[in-house]
Amino acid sequence: MSRFAELLDRFFYRPDEDVGAFLELAPEVDTGPEVAPEEVPEEFLAFQLGDETYAVPIATVREILKVGDVTEVPRGAPNVIGLINVRGEMLPLYDVKVRLKLADAAPVVRSRADVARGARIVLIRDPEGDAGVLVDRVHGVVKLALSRLESAPNLGLERDAVAGLGRKDGNLYILIDLEQALS
Amino acid sequence: MAPPRALDEFVTEANEILESLAKDLFVLDQERGREPDPERLNAIFRAAHSLKGLSAMFGVDRVSRLAHRAEDVLDALRLGRVPLDDRLVDTLIETLDMLQALLARVSQGTHAPDLEVGADHLQERLAQLARGQADAGVDLLDQVGIDPQMRSVFTEYEEHRLRENVKKGVGLWKVRAVYSLADFDQQLAALNARLKPLGEVVSTLPSSQPGDESSIAFDLVFGSSRARGEIEAVLDGATLSPLTSRPAPTEVTPRPGPALVFDSSSSNAPRPATKWDDVSGSGVALPEPTSASGLRLSPDTSLRSLTQTVRVDIGRLDALMNSIGELLLIRSNINRLAEAARQVGTGVALPKLWGQELQREARALERKLDELQKGVLDVRMVPLGQVFDKLTRLMRRLVRESGKDVDFEVSGGDVELDKLIVEELSDPLMHLLRNSLDHGIEPPEVRRLHHKPQRGKIRLKARQQGNQVLIEVGDDGGGMDETRIRQVAVQRGLATEEQTREMSRRDLLNLVFLPGFSTRADVSELSGRGVGLDVVKTNLARLSGLIDIDSRRGDGTTFTLTLPLTLAIIRALMVGVSGRTYAVPLSSVMEIVSIRHADLRTVERREVFEVRGQTLPFVRLARVFKLAEAQRERSFVVLIGLAQQRIGLAVDELLGQEDIVTKPLGGRLRAIPGVSGATELGDRRAVLVLDVGALMEELTRPAAAAG
Amino acid sequence: MSTHKVLIVEDSRATRELLAAALGELDGVEVHLAVSGFEALKVLPRHRFELIITDINMPDINGLELINFVKKNPHYKETPLFVVTTEGRPQDRDRGLQLGASEYVVKPFEPADICALVRRYLKLG
Repeated sequence: MSRFAELLDRFFYRPDEDVGAFLELAPEVDTGPEVAPEEVPEEFLAFQLGDETYAVPIATVREILKVGDVTEVPRGAPNVIGLINVRGEMLPLYDVKVRLKLADAAPVVRSRADVARGARIVLIRDPEGDAGVLVDRVHGVVKLALSRLESAPNLGLERDAVAGLGRKDGNLYILIDLEQALS
Repeated sequence: MAPPRALDEFVTEANEILESLAKDLFVLDQERGREPDPERLNAIFRAAHSLKGLSAMFGVDRVSRLAHRAEDVLDALRLGRVPLDDRLVDTLIETLDMLQALLARVSQGTHAPDLEVGADHLQERLAQLARGQADAGVDLLDQVGIDPQMRSVFTEYEEHRLRENVKKGVGLWKVRAVYSLADFDQQLAALNARLKPLGEVVSTLPSSQPGDESSIAFDLVFGSSRARGEIEAVLDGATLSPLTSRPAPTEVTPRPGPALVFDSSSSNAPRPATKWDDVSGSGVALPEPTSASGLRLSPDTSLRSLTQTVRVDIGRLDALMNSIGELLLIRSNINRLAEAARQVGTGVALPKLWGQELQREARALERKLDELQKGVLDVRMVPLGQVFDKLTRLMRRLVRESGKDVDFEVSGGDVELDKLIVEELSDPLMHLLRNSLDHGIEPPEVRRLHHKPQRGKIRLKARQQGNQVLIEVGDDGGGMDETRIRQVAVQRGLATEEQTREMSRRDLLNLVFLPGFSTRADVSELSGRGVGLDVVKTNLARLSGLIDIDSRRGDGTTFTLTLPLTLAIIRALMVGVSGRTYAVPLSSVMEIVSIRHADLRTVERREVFEVRGQTLPFVRLARVFKLAEAQRERSFVVLIGLAQQRIGLAVDELLGQEDIVTKPLGGRLRAIPGVSGATELGDRRAVLVLDVGALMEELTRPAAAAG
Repeated sequence: MSTHKVLIVEDSRATRELLAAALGELDGVEVHLAVSGFEALKVLPRHRFELIITDINMPDINGLELINFVKKNPHYKETPLFVVTTEGRPQDRDRGLQLGASEYVVKPFEPADICALVRRYLKLG
């Protein structure tokens, strides 16, 4: 098994779910000539939110889940979609699209019927308590050299959750600081 | 600092050490006025010594320094250089409390700047106490002629014990025993037990002379005033020979023993060793508790621990193991049935026998799972005595410091509760007890004026009632002043004057639990701990517990805490509201009625309903949770709360009862008002568990009533 | 590679684990643990230990008694023995060394230091 496949296996492993699709979706990674030989590129998990592609450091990702039942939390914060049961752990599921100005209101999600087929929950590790983030699609792992990241352009929008931009093979990856995005 | 994992290990062990230290100090405290058992003193010394080494090893300097000072005092004490007096016992108990407080901070990973001053002060006091006079003069051991070879392996303490025996003029013996390598430890323990009534085993030395492959010889150094024959009678195969070559010099024999005199009087004059038993107790204000079970020292009792560890009776574990064994059996039966079904193939009807057998296995599975569940719950249960002992110790000290004359009665320490609950109870109970001492019990002159016995009474009582445990903290003091409560509540804007006039006595008393009832200034004066009764109430609510007050002017105040036996698994009523499902802990459900909406009335525009002549608030859960309401003619109303304080929670559907395990909401979601956690149902869906205490609080708050 | 068996005698569980973890990092070292002097007496005949590390202050027999036992016994007397204990009571330390202990290590120690000592005595690379 390649290191890449292993990595995916580690993060995508759910005995009761098929993960084959992710393996096919994952873009092939190479440490091509564009990266300085002494620099080891960092691994990021790339996913879709609306029309944009976002990425978070793979180390902050605990696992990726299919959307199952979501329990509504009464009187909860507006960005909380609900509560999910991750093998007995009761964790919050967050919407970040409103925070990123990609939507006007958090979606109402009660079960997988309420989301598109590709939608997934990215479970992130967080000192304040692990949390799920609803994304439209998971692309896979992308390697980006830290030295080549750009800082976020000032577009006059308040998007302080954006930590920077990365480019690879003609794709633009928006790196987000999930801790900021969830606050 | 050590990595977190190792720190856990440290906290667990340090805590065990403190627990054993607490037990021994507890006995020392109770036996003031009697000659302390040298073994107990040595055990206390060892505990301080181990704690010092352990905390130094793990870089926890604050604990290590204090333990070091305590060790110095204890070393001097066991070596007979300082006398054991009240001041020393008190200081040691304070040191224990401080060590526990420091350790608690370590386990929380927080710093303890607020404890620094107290710890420094204690260190200073311990250092002073340790400055006793050294035992100068001729070494008696040289005079009695003990084999220097043997002496070379004695620790300083063992030499001291030997010296003490020489001073007493008792005979010193060498007991040689040869035992099998396989069970020498049991054999030695048995021999020790037989020797102990006759004297003191000073040291146990594995013999340097090798035995054969399978046995080992030991030399026990034994001091005894008994005749040789008497000792030999209990040896059971071991041999006895004199240890000393010369008798002890005669002039030292009657010398008064300065070593372990329990100096409880103000006089420092040395007492003859033989008079120990005559020394009467000091004028400690607190008499021995009169209860039967409160202060019993069984091997199970210990203090509140900071760790997540539960010590389990091996019998309970065996029962669990048995259940699992039987479950495995059922599994193989089910596997066999599944295999049989597979071989029959699709489309063919299975024999009837197969169905019956499957049903039988399913029933057995259910039974065994119940057993397993009960077994696991059993393992979580610990006696309340764990907390009661600690509280007793603290109360004794507080009473002494307060200068009041108070009896402290404890009972029900043997009532068992879930470990989690017992751990969390210690702070709220302490707060209530301090409250009784500081504010309940009147000064002696006031008591005399009211023709009450001069000695006040504070009770801590626990008893089990069905699936609940009731704990009462009561005093026979002055009781609560309703007029004053009314004034304060109005002053602080917690209720209007009019509202307070209409309130029942009980509702009025319950105002003291409102956040904001006691200001910060009151709190520090009240309890010195920066928590008000509202915090006590919140802490209890987190344990699914309720608190109630009964107070009579002049007769005293009683707080009653009602707690579930366990938090791990509770029975809950599942209710449906606007298509959502919620769990209501059954322990707080009084009854369920069905109400026609046409029968609802309003009082001050709030909906109420009547049940058996009583008018109660009708609270639509859908509205509380801001859910869309469906039009309907009837609602089920779940009556929750205490006897007088009830509300009706209107729901759409009743979905039956379930045994649920409440889990905390992960990280960021911790504080959702009215929700105590979540549980998973059979289909793995998360279902919210209602926090009945918080909901009642929210829905009956006078401020809410006004708005 | 041959393994070197080391016996750790220590009644503090946390300290024991810490020592075991430190020594376990050394290649070719097999760590055995005894929680008391009595247990050490039981374990000693079962293995050929190349090094013994013992605490002094223990509940059943003290470390000095264990050293004396080891050093007087023809089977074990060649085995080097370290005493690890909380900051020295000079009398106990002197007796430990007199009885034949090779090294006297005072707690708190750095795991690296004790590893270095062990390496030296076991002649590890």
